[in-house]
Amino acid sequence: MELVRAQRQDEAIALLLPAFRRKVFGLAYSFLRNREAAEDVTQDVFIKVWRALPGFDGRASLSTWIYTISRNASLSALRARRPQSSLSDPEVMDAVEAIDSAPSADAMVDHAALLRLVDQLPTKQRQVIMLFYMEEQSHEEVANMLAMPVGTVKTLLHRARARLSAAVDN
Amino acid sequence: MSTRESQLDKHLEALFGGLDTAADFDARLMARLRAESQTDAGERAIRARQQERERYRKALLALQSWRRSVLRLLTLDTLGIAFLLVVAVVTAWPRLNDVLDISRQYGPYLATLLGVLIAAVPLVGMWAERTRGPIRLL
Repeated sequence: MELVRAQRQDEAIALLLPAFRRKVFGLAYSFLRNREAAEDVTQDVFIKVWRALPGFDGRASLSTWIYTISRNASLSALRARRPQSSLSDPEVMDAVEAIDSAPSADAMVDHAALLRLVDQLPTKQRQVIMLFYMEEQSHEEVANMLAMPVGTVKTLLHRARARLSAAVDN
Repeated sequence: MSTRESQLDKHLEALFGGLDTAADFDARLMARLRAESQTDAGERAIRARQQERERYRKALLALQSWRRSVLRLLTLDTLGIAFLLVVAVVTAWPRLNDVLDISRQYGPYLATLLGVLIAAVPLVGMWAERTRGPIRLL
């Protein structure tokens, strides 16, 4: 906030970027299900944050403010992007490959199948699952990111995991 | 938590735990920010010039409108009232003490009379409005 007050937005962004880049990207990705589009949205979000920082009054916490911008930007991008892609698109599969630096053949099959199962979950459950495992399993952080009560996140997570477990069994 | 669930956890963690932007993301963003910053500086200068021009135009309009309203006040009536006021002041000036004595003596009455007159104006206006009949053309 001091940097913002001193009109040093560039330095403020340099501090915010490592703290929020993954979170904003994850949030955008959970909406868009497309790596490239999520990166574009993440860039736009930081540009918006950089522009709006001088007007940030600190009434909401910085993270809540950034997540609100991210959700709005993601929804706008989602509306502009039709038809929707899915997690099991070839480019996402490439990303899965990138996740494991040296995957075994079995793990690859498992991950690809699991991605498809996650993709079939209802939107909110899918978002919660993605962000929960991305965000080191913090219910509070996921709740803050999606602007949901923690209880709702827990319920959605429980349902999503039960669904995935059942699907994996089948 | 069962072994199967913890296996699922591990898979999901492996899937989404490493989710991140491309390596050159920060560099690209910073380059964009620099470009935006330069564009912003130029735009800010243009905006400042426009705002200054707009402020000057508004001030000029306010001055013109004030001048017009003053000129509008300069009617024969206002000139006559001003002339009468000047005559009254010039006439009363040599007898200022007498005027002050009278105002001290009859001050409350004069104030009451003035109040009644001021209050009567809207009342008379309303009465005139009500008593005015419909306009007949024939």
